[in-house]
Amino acid sequence: MDRPWITLVWNDPVNLMSYVTYVFQTYFGYSLEKAEKLMLDVHQKGKAVVSNGPREKMERDTEAMQGYGLWATLQKDD
Amino acid sequence: MARAFKRKGARFVARLDEDERAVVVGLLEQTHALLAPVPRESTGDAFQDLVSRLGLPRLQDAGDDTPHAPRDPALERLLPSAHREDPELAAEFRRLTEYGLRERKAANLATAISALQDSDGVKVTLDLQQAQATVVALTDVRLLLGERLGLRTDDDADAIQDRLEAALEDDPQLYRAAYYDFLTWLQESLIQALMGM
Repeated sequence: MDRPWITLVWNDPVNLMSYVTYVFQTYFGYSLEKAEKLMLDVHQKGKAVVSNGPREKMERDTEAMQGYGLWATLQKDD
Repeated sequence: MARAFKRKGARFVARLDEDERAVVVGLLEQTHALLAPVPRESTGDAFQDLVSRLGLPRLQDAGDDTPHAPRDPALERLLPSAHREDPELAAEFRRLTEYGLRERKAANLATAISALQDSDGVKVTLDLQQAQATVVALTDVRLLLGERLGLRTDDDADAIQDRLEAALEDDPQLYRAAYYDFLTWLQESLIQALMGM
């Protein structure tokens, strides 16, 4: 079975903590609690896995995050 | 004197005086100029035009490996590499997504520009769709200014505040730092209004 892919969002000094939370809620439909936890992981640990699944879906998620101005990348989960 | 965004029913309302509005619109326009995709000339062939818009090389371009001019570093932040360890996948992702991303970012910026220009006097009133476009447009403006200011780390961002306080009058970065700080404040208020806090 293929290993799943992941979408990562990386910390940057420009994006506001509130905005990152807003984007995770708006695009993924995550609860405020989950969105804030992911935002804090980005801010404190430097990055967070924001979604996982087939490569095509991760490409769409990465493109969407970049559309919002977040620093997003995708890779195979290892 | 500016007043932050607040939610009023279905609307998002702020106050910006003439100078403040001119600064914000000017910065949105600069960002739009950098991001708007270069219109691809029609080949006269609808299928080739579609292929071109999808970011696929035209048949006659295949094998053309002319080196590209160095990109503006701000573009690398606005349209970052999507793969950290695989340059081939990163190049493929860019080829497939860059035109569309630029189109959508440019459309958000254009929506924000016209919403600010249409405002009545000092009052800025946005509907939900305009607010959602403007909050993203302000992000792209701040990413561009942040790149020009050399912001790389959270400490750099904190240093902006110190720099503003200590800035010399002839420091050209002062204005960018001041604009950056102003947009941060304006965007934060719009996010809070959108999130209904």
